Amino acid sequence: MSSSTLLFCVCAFFALAGAVGTVSARRPLRAAMALLAHIVALAGLYLTLHAQLLAAIQLLVYAGAIVVLFVFVIMLIGPASETSGSGRAGMVRMTSLVLMGMVTVTIAFAIVDTDPAAPRLPAGYGDVEGVGGALYTQGLVPFEIISITLLVAIIGAVAVARGKTAVEKQIEAKEKARAEVEARLGEGAAPAPAE
Amino acid sequence: MILGLGEYLSLATILFGIGAIGFLVRRNVLIQLMSIELMLNAVNVVLVAVNRFHPDNHAGQLFAFFVIAVAAAEVATGLAIVIALFRLKKSVDTDQAASLKH
Amino acid sequence: MNVALIEKLLPFIVLLPLAGAIMNGLAGRFADKKLVSGVAAGSVLGAFAIALYAFVGLYVAKHDGAEAAAFSADLWRWFDVAIPNGQGGFRTVPIELRFVFDSLSGLMTLVVTGIGSLIHIYALGYMKEDPGFARFFAYLNLFTASMLILVLASSVTFMFVGWEGVGLCSYLLIGFWYENPKYAAAGRKAFVANRVGDFGVLIGMFACVFFAGSFEFSDINAYAGVMGASDLQFPGVASGLTFGNAATFATLFLFLGCTGKSAQVPLYVWLPDAMAGPTPVSALIHAATMVTSGVYLCCRLSPLFLQSDVTMSVIAVVGAVTAFLGATIAITQHEMKKILAYSTVSQLGFMFAGVGVGAFAAGFFHVFTHAFFKACLFLGAGSVMHAVHAHGDADIFKLGGMKRFQPLTRATFLASCFAIAGFPLTSGFFSKDELLVGAANVWLEETALPSSVGAFVFIVLAISAFLTAFYMFRLYFLTFEGSYRSAPDESEDPERGGHAPHDAHAYAAHPHESERSMTLPLVILGFGALVVGFLGMPHWLGLPNWWEHWMEASITNLAVPESESHTPHILAMAVGTLVALGGIGAAWALYFKGSGVAALDEPKKNALTYFLYDKWRVDELYQRTILGPIKWLAIQCGRVDRTFVDTLLTRATSGTAALLGHLLTRLQVGVVHAYGLAIVIGTGVLGWWFLYPHARVDVTPGADSVALSAGPGLGYEYRWDVDGDGAFDVPRQPETLTVAVSAELDQAAIDQTARRLSNVISSVVPWPDDRRALGAPLGPRRYSLTPPAEALEVTRQFLESAQGVTIEGAEPAGELFGDATAAEHRYDAEDHVGFTLVWQDDLRRSHRLELEAGETLLDASVLAFAWQPLRPEDGEADPMADVPPAFVLGDDGALAVRPNGADHRGLSLDEGGSAPLSAGDRFTLGGRPMRIVPRVRARVQVRNAFGNVATETVEFDLDPEEAQAAAPLARNDRAGAAR
Repeated sequence: MSSSTLLFCVCAFFALAGAVGTVSARRPLRAAMALLAHIVALAGLYLTLHAQLLAAIQLLVYAGAIVVLFVFVIMLIGPASETSGSGRAGMVRMTSLVLMGMVTVTIAFAIVDTDPAAPRLPAGYGDVEGVGGALYTQGLVPFEIISITLLVAIIGAVAVARGKTAVEKQIEAKEKARAEVEARLGEGAAPAPAE
Repeated sequence: MILGLGEYLSLATILFGIGAIGFLVRRNVLIQLMSIELMLNAVNVVLVAVNRFHPDNHAGQLFAFFVIAVAAAEVATGLAIVIALFRLKKSVDTDQAASLKH
Repeated sequence: MNVALIEKLLPFIVLLPLAGAIMNGLAGRFADKKLVSGVAAGSVLGAFAIALYAFVGLYVAKHDGAEAAAFSADLWRWFDVAIPNGQGGFRTVPIELRFVFDSLSGLMTLVVTGIGSLIHIYALGYMKEDPGFARFFAYLNLFTASMLILVLASSVTFMFVGWEGVGLCSYLLIGFWYENPKYAAAGRKAFVANRVGDFGVLIGMFACVFFAGSFEFSDINAYAGVMGASDLQFPGVASGLTFGNAATFATLFLFLGCTGKSAQVPLYVWLPDAMAGPTPVSALIHAATMVTSGVYLCCRLSPLFLQSDVTMSVIAVVGAVTAFLGATIAITQHEMKKILAYSTVSQLGFMFAGVGVGAFAAGFFHVFTHAFFKACLFLGAGSVMHAVHAHGDADIFKLGGMKRFQPLTRATFLASCFAIAGFPLTSGFFSKDELLVGAANVWLEETALPSSVGAFVFIVLAISAFLTAFYMFRLYFLTFEGSYRSAPDESEDPERGGHAPHDAHAYAAHPHESERSMTLPLVILGFGALVVGFLGMPHWLGLPNWWEHWMEASITNLAVPESESHTPHILAMAVGTLVALGGIGAAWALYFKGSGVAALDEPKKNALTYFLYDKWRVDELYQRTILGPIKWLAIQCGRVDRTFVDTLLTRATSGTAALLGHLLTRLQVGVVHAYGLAIVIGTGVLGWWFLYPHARVDVTPGADSVALSAGPGLGYEYRWDVDGDGAFDVPRQPETLTVAVSAELDQAAIDQTARRLSNVISSVVPWPDDRRALGAPLGPRRYSLTPPAEALEVTRQFLESAQGVTIEGAEPAGELFGDATAAEHRYDAEDHVGFTLVWQDDLRRSHRLELEAGETLLDASVLAFAWQPLRPEDGEADPMADVPPAFVLGDDGALAVRPNGADHRGLSLDEGGSAPLSAGDRFTLGGRPMRIVPRVRARVQVRNAFGNVATETVEFDLDPEEAQAAAPLARNDRAGAAR
């Protein structure tokens, strides 16, 4: 067994274990940690595929940004980030599980024999110079669009996650107070109208 | 044992399946989002692996790069929505998020 | 004269009014009234100017000796149609958009634009107060453009565009005051009556192109002789009967169109009702131009019409009857416009009577003169109605003495009355004289038409001319002479005078002369009514007849033998003068000099007068005979629609859709995981589809080989077994060789050997991409080699001869698939895997029956007549008596047939009662032609990028006749798709 095959086996094991841990963890924080392990393992897999730059980016973006973001949100939400009870549509979810499992296993077995000859890699394949060159030549337009997409996502995230501003809270409080006063005044004369 | 494309593809399929099952079975929005990340990563493995066996250009790796970027954007907005949902329902259970049914 | 300039300007005659219509139609509502007026009148005046310029150019050209001079302007080719070429195929006939300005269309263009301009100017005053001012002029301009297309078009098809356009504008303008349901109904009536006629024009047009092979008027006229000589046979059951010649067929239908557009019996009923439109419309469309387009069409195709005595006689009689009918009705009517409308019907009858007796030029001359005096009469009537504030129509018994209020109107009206009555030396006198001469010629001279037709037409026209003079002067005297019968009573309060009518039935108390823009056209037209007749003075008196000469180039008249007697001419002129003077005199006696007008207020209480006053009750007749049954049918259809379509079809389908929708809403559960399950199912189906290859095989039989092609797919590779022998048609399979290198060779020697090997391989196939082909180290001094399949042999030879190298082993290196999605094979007799019986039924349709191994009994119903069971001589029942014919396919592939008593031909039976068959045999069994066709099999294996393989097998008949018919016939057998 060559070293790359060994690396593949180890990484594949950890990737699978991380994935299973992610979806099966009861606590979201543990799931996030399993996801981290999965991501690191995938970076190793990228190395076996001669994608050094991508492996680095994988670690930076996923482990460094995305998982951290998850952890932040989990901490923000606190204990409520765990769900409890059996929930609705248990049969549906079990059916999905079985069907998806069957589909996955079928496809995995059907394509495992795909075996084109591995060609010799050209010089510079997968390193910073090669991928970066391709990124700023043939991939320039998508690259710019992606940057705009990220910008839009940031603005969208701020807009969605932002709570009410102080001014809005003040206005709301005033209206609430006035409604209470009116209700109290109305109680004496006539029953308050049902909301 | 010589590593072929098939092994990578099968691994990616299984990872994708695990992610899909996680998304389908779990009710916790946070874990469902993580499952989506698993699926995106599985697709990335396919892209990079196929690129390895057709190395004339870096199209697969570039695509994987873009997928990572989109995944970052998706997580940012997704988590924002999770926070909004939590504000509204005081819960991250998707069973609570059925307001659009009617 | 600059011919090129004229031809360049020619389209603008049409385009100017069209542009005016578009501008006024789209923007007129928002524009100033003055601008609308300018656009409307200016565009028609511009067209008139161009037409005049072109006409002068044509005149000069003719004067210079070019008798058949004409200008033409090609716009573009509209489209091509395919018509049968008589040999079972088709040929294309182009339809060109082309304008032709010759002596006939040129003159008509002048009339349309000239009189159109005058009427536009008149209408500027007449319609001044109307809220639909811009709409009116948009319609009127559109009408002018359509009429000019009709006139200038060079082909029947293009003319039909104009023909329909004027019909549309007529409908729009009759119903211009559409708020009044009566007027809207009149518009509908005109539209429907015209539709009947248009059907005739279409059929006539198709007949023309079918026989003459062209839509162009000139081609049809050139071909008229052939059409006149070719008999038209009825098809189908009535074959053997002759319809008459082709010209009769075509012209009769064209004339049906003319009866609709030009208001002839039996379709004239719409024209009197059409007076519901504004008066300028009545003058322009329903008197001067559109209604004469039928006459114009007949003149255009005069050579074709002359080919058919039947049609000519029909036209003559219909025209004469219409002239008489219209005149008799006009005598008794009370309203100005109604009288004029029936007068128009009558005058159109005159024109068609002239056309029918072969005097095309005279008929068209009457179109020309009629345009002047009838337009003038209508505008005069409009002027009177305008003055007395009568809306819609004016009762002449409530008028009278208008000459005091409207001297100009009265003068022009009187001039036109003289003209239409045929008073000597007015325009109507000359044109009517020409028509009577035409009829008299047919009556008295030797012509191609029966003389009885001529006699009938002459006498009826003479009576009608008398009636014409009578009713016109009745109208004149009652309107303009005497005293004003709607004048206010002395007892009335004088303060209430002015324009307000003093009771509901009378008109304005103080009429006034109309404004300048209305009287100017009256004066011009009235003057024209008096003098334009001098263009066609009688030739036999030695006077110059410019008209006849001018029209010679484009109109063919009936040939009349030259005679010295002039009898027809003298007769016509004498009779014409007499009836005109007589009619005027009778009217004068009755309505001017005679008893008080009040006594004549009501129609006399006798049956005939009532009958005429009720317009011969033709509308009632149509109502009973045609409209009633159609209405009944419509009501029944409506009932079916309501009960069957609405209830059953509509409700049932909508109910089903609603039910399905209700069920589908149940799927909307609001649980994210349920939606996820749907995605899983979809993913599974799609995944399955892409994991395994699918290839459909198409079989295309060719002349001597069969082409097979398999459907494409992502990453598909193929290998074929076209001859069905079970082995794939792959020449060699690649092998992986294991090579050992002896210790004697050093690295340099190994490299040299490898280079030589690669040279050897690349001399056979191009340098392979796959580096494994040239060897990969397998261990110390051992290499693995997978050369391309084509180079396997040379590689082996090289390695065996090379020093220090030995082949240790070889193993297959996968199966070879190719990129070929198609294959072609020439099948021979040995390739077949079975037989198919092909038999033909009574309709010569082929049926197939695949013969299975063992015995196949032919279904008795296949046979044309029942098979005769074998009856031995001794009368004993044969055990095979009830067994139908059978085909037997043995295990060894030998085929035989046992007729079992069925009638057969082409079979030689042995003593067992059966005959051997082989592929390609033809025979008749039970009255059916049969043949045996070999069936062959082909196979293709498809592999996709995932390495999954599917096998497709097709079986098909190798039928040379089918191959000739180039009809692909294949049966796909899907063998299991397996790895």
